[in-house]
Amino acid sequence: MASQYDRVSFRTQVLTRHLRSPSPSPPPALPDSLSSSPCLSYSPPELSEPPFVFDTKLMRSLLDGHNIQDRDWLFNLMMQSNLFNPRKLGHRTFVSPDHNQSMEQERAMTMKRIEYLLDRGVYKGWITGNGAEAELRKLALNEVISLYDHSLAIKLGVHFSLWGGAIQFFGTKRHHEKWLQITEEYGIKGCFAMTELGHGSNVRGIETITTYDSTSREFVICTPCESAQKYWIGGAANHATHTIVFSQLNINGKNQGVHAFIAQIRDADGNICPNIRIADCGHKIGLNGVDNGRIWFDNVRIPRENLLNSVADVSPDGQYLSVISDPDQRFAAFLAPLTFGRITIAVCAVYSSKVGLATAIRYSLSRRAFSLAANEPEILLLDYPSHQHRLLPLLAKTYAMSFAGNYLKSIYVQRTPEMNKTIHVVSSAFKATLTWHNMRTLQECREACGGQGLKTENLVGHFKSEYDVQSTFEGDNNVLMQQVSKALLAEYVAAKKQKKSFKGLWLEHMNGSSPVIPSQLTSSNLRCSSIQADIFCLRERDLLEHFVSEISAHQKQGRSKEYASVMNYQLAEDLGRAFADKAILLTFIETEAKVSNGPLKNVLGLLRSLYALTILEEDASFLRYGYLSRENAASVRQEVSEPGSSGQSSDLFSHSAVTSASLRLFVILPWGIVATVHHPRRLLRQTLLKLSLSLQPLLHLPAAAQPPLPSSSVTPLVTRRLISSVSSAFKATFTGHNFEDASGMS
Amino acid sequence: MPSSSSTNEAPDQVLVEGHLFVRKIVLNRPMQLNALSNYMISRLLELFIGYEEDPDVKLIILKGNGRAFCAGGDVAAVACDSEGNWRLGAKYFWKEYTLNYIMATYSKPQVSIINGIVMGGGAGASIHGRFRVVTENTVFAMPETALGLYPDVGASYYLSRLPGFFGEYLGLTGTRLDGAEMLTCGLATHFVDSMKLPLLEEALCKINCYDFSNISLIIENHADQPKLKEKSSYHRLDVINRCFSHRTVEEILSALEQESAKKNDDWISAAIQSLNKASPTSLKISLRLIREGRLQGVGQCLVCDYRMTCHAIRGEINRDFFEGNRAILVDKDKNPKWKPSSLDQVSDSMVDRFFSRIDDEDWEDLKLPPRSNLPALAIAKL
Repeated sequence: MASQYDRVSFRTQVLTRHLRSPSPSPPPALPDSLSSSPCLSYSPPELSEPPFVFDTKLMRSLLDGHNIQDRDWLFNLMMQSNLFNPRKLGHRTFVSPDHNQSMEQERAMTMKRIEYLLDRGVYKGWITGNGAEAELRKLALNEVISLYDHSLAIKLGVHFSLWGGAIQFFGTKRHHEKWLQITEEYGIKGCFAMTELGHGSNVRGIETITTYDSTSREFVICTPCESAQKYWIGGAANHATHTIVFSQLNINGKNQGVHAFIAQIRDADGNICPNIRIADCGHKIGLNGVDNGRIWFDNVRIPRENLLNSVADVSPDGQYLSVISDPDQRFAAFLAPLTFGRITIAVCAVYSSKVGLATAIRYSLSRRAFSLAANEPEILLLDYPSHQHRLLPLLAKTYAMSFAGNYLKSIYVQRTPEMNKTIHVVSSAFKATLTWHNMRTLQECREACGGQGLKTENLVGHFKSEYDVQSTFEGDNNVLMQQVSKALLAEYVAAKKQKKSFKGLWLEHMNGSSPVIPSQLTSSNLRCSSIQADIFCLRERDLLEHFVSEISAHQKQGRSKEYASVMNYQLAEDLGRAFADKAILLTFIETEAKVSNGPLKNVLGLLRSLYALTILEEDASFLRYGYLSRENAASVRQEVSEPGSSGQSSDLFSHSAVTSASLRLFVILPWGIVATVHHPRRLLRQTLLKLSLSLQPLLHLPAAAQPPLPSSSVTPLVTRRLISSVSSAFKATFTGHNFEDASGMS
Repeated sequence: MPSSSSTNEAPDQVLVEGHLFVRKIVLNRPMQLNALSNYMISRLLELFIGYEEDPDVKLIILKGNGRAFCAGGDVAAVACDSEGNWRLGAKYFWKEYTLNYIMATYSKPQVSIINGIVMGGGAGASIHGRFRVVTENTVFAMPETALGLYPDVGASYYLSRLPGFFGEYLGLTGTRLDGAEMLTCGLATHFVDSMKLPLLEEALCKINCYDFSNISLIIENHADQPKLKEKSSYHRLDVINRCFSHRTVEEILSALEQESAKKNDDWISAAIQSLNKASPTSLKISLRLIREGRLQGVGQCLVCDYRMTCHAIRGEINRDFFEGNRAILVDKDKNPKWKPSSLDQVSDSMVDRFFSRIDDEDWEDLKLPPRSNLPALAIAKL
């Protein structure tokens, strides 16, 4: 006990020193006046920044797009349960999983959280609901959940979207009646065994084999070799009772391609079923709340009805029947549930970027480093142009990608069979682009937070490993981008062959003549949305034509199209990126058009320009292929580095004064995000909030030196109050109560 | 200060006793259970603003005369005023919410001695303060939904911060709490036997500095640890959480009905009964208010309250406020005819309209007085 008090009084003395400033050295100022040392003067940016110029609620509804009340409801549910580790700090509740737990604990907690949300009716209609409304609700709630914990979202995604989705899409009435309701109620726990050790993205190459035994009317599933073991199957290691098995179907000696079956792998008590072997994939760099496992099938027998038979069936006497004769098309039909997964991954990636940026930008509004001259206050990180240049382009991109994500969701929920190709191409392009952007953003934000970014509880750094998997699962990003350029190629060839105009995928611009970019790009036309769109379209058009001619040149030499596109991977990558960037820009412009004139629209315009110009500056293809002249590229750079300023200045201070107008604009943007994110965790929680925020009331009383009490009478009072407050703050830390409780005030 | 048409305005509705560094404010309208008249609100506002500046005031004690602390706003008078001109009513609420805000962000300690009924506006005048002392005579409720209103006075701020979904339960059903329950759920900070109140007041009046922990200590020395009564619904917080966490009022009601089918508990049937009797529109608004309250500061909550109240007394979206007032307070037939009369007829867009700004040139959002020294955590009292 004694040592605790020693520590308390030691800290008190240290803090008191900050307040008294009796030191002989720098300030010759008023002897007794109180000025708080900058290292104690932390205040959340809300208090020091000017009010927002636009309505943050409107911005939030634009970013979230839909089901805002449902989102808040779910945030509330989490804040109210100890399962989500709520920690109260002042009037805010902070929730975050405890990442200091072992893998086993994390898995058990994930399951408990799933049950809590189940009891509260969160999953109602996730499977049995129909129509756009139910799907949007599910998407919104999933985004909220992923913001809390990626593991929780993925574990739910496996059960609902992959297992449940497979039954919905590949099953027929008998499967729907038997499985959908019980799945929504978690009466069983499903998983999805597609990937094998030897085959991931190339699903058609999987080696698991299923045959049919017409005497017992059963299918027999077999893992013929080690590379055919199912690998990375989420839920398989601990919890799942049932699985969808993807397997080659061999009927009477003929391979009919990949089909999906339902197999039980555990009984209700959690015992592994006969002829099933399961192993754990072990500890991972992230997502340890999900129990990924490996499965072997040793001639497992399942009833004939367990074939998901929407596209093909096997009659009781063993005849193969299918409405789709082309095995290629049959296979394509099997990938439908992965589309939903890709969409959720893409939109969740944006939310994770928002957490990173909100944290890093808030931090840069409170942390100071270096003064420009002696005895001057240190400069806020965000007042450095270099720091702005690190974070704000990422902010603009994140806004752009939010709108792109919303667009993707909207076409998905309104889908018709004709739109399948569009949805596949757009979701592939966005999934890859948005998840790559997320990883880059998190890394930059982590670095921008300095050492604070390394703390798990500040989330930014930890998210890097939690979200890394996004670029791999549900389709490797590189593979997806290749598919995008292949799809564009196919569109082009089809349009030319049938002499039809381009339609869909925003390729209509290919029908007209090539846009002309002004030879001298000025600030105003760089900010013009139609000119931005022109440049992006020009790049895509030219790259596509280039790609087509390269491929046909190869083909003329007698090589296959596949060989040709493998060899032209660089062009294919440039083209995929060009498509994605263009699509994102166009969805941004579309969103902006829907907003009525006013401050909100102005901010959106600024962000859109920052997005477009950042892409222009970053992507080498603009210069490589000459879409931008060197002079124009220079004007782009100029425009990006000094948005809003017309005058030039070499002096940093006047520079920051010049840019302050635009800076202000940017500065408030994160609140738009924060309002959206509602993720209450912020940087500096331990170090500053706990200490100086709780000191804030005291520091503020005298420090607001407008009509204060005579300063001589203040000092002892404040010091004493400071001491008592600091010690109670420490008591709070030791006893685990929050500050207000421990100080005996409530 | 008195400015409106309400009658019986007498300066003795608010009494002030001055002690050395302590001011004791007594709500003195016992016949009306100390319901806050227009005059009383104006006077309290004036006193609180004045005392904040006054270096000689270190502590404010607020109590009520008679068997109530304060039974709420003088709704009947406001309704009567508003029927003619809703702006008169709006003025009343503007002042009342401003008072709530000042109390919630007050830099000096306020001790409310709640020795009797505390409801609606009375809760707004006490819960936002730093110390809330209750006794065995205390009866708390937010009964607004039965009146065609919703828990205003910033209640969406403190109700939403009660454990679990207890706030939704209180706000929607208007359930009454006793002193022990208030202490357990956090609405009260101390429980003191009413016999000891004179001693407590005497001790408090000797205070000469605003050291919160010192005041806390003094009250603690007089406090008791009451026992939660056996039938208290607080014992069933698990059931309350399960039911009142649902997203819509309809779902809450059906969850309650399922629970009552499982096990017939008095408090569940009472809750169902209250929900069925309350204005359907009020229920939906209240739920949304409390939900949004979780993520808002007290100022934002009050701005919301003001919008909603103006809609209610303007009577354009619906007239449940006047109907409730008629049935409960004026005619006392206790049989209000709500319109719309059932939950499914209250559309989301209708609820949205209550949350929107009022389409009227002269109307403006509640402008809260700037609180220059507002520290980041000053607003959290619960």
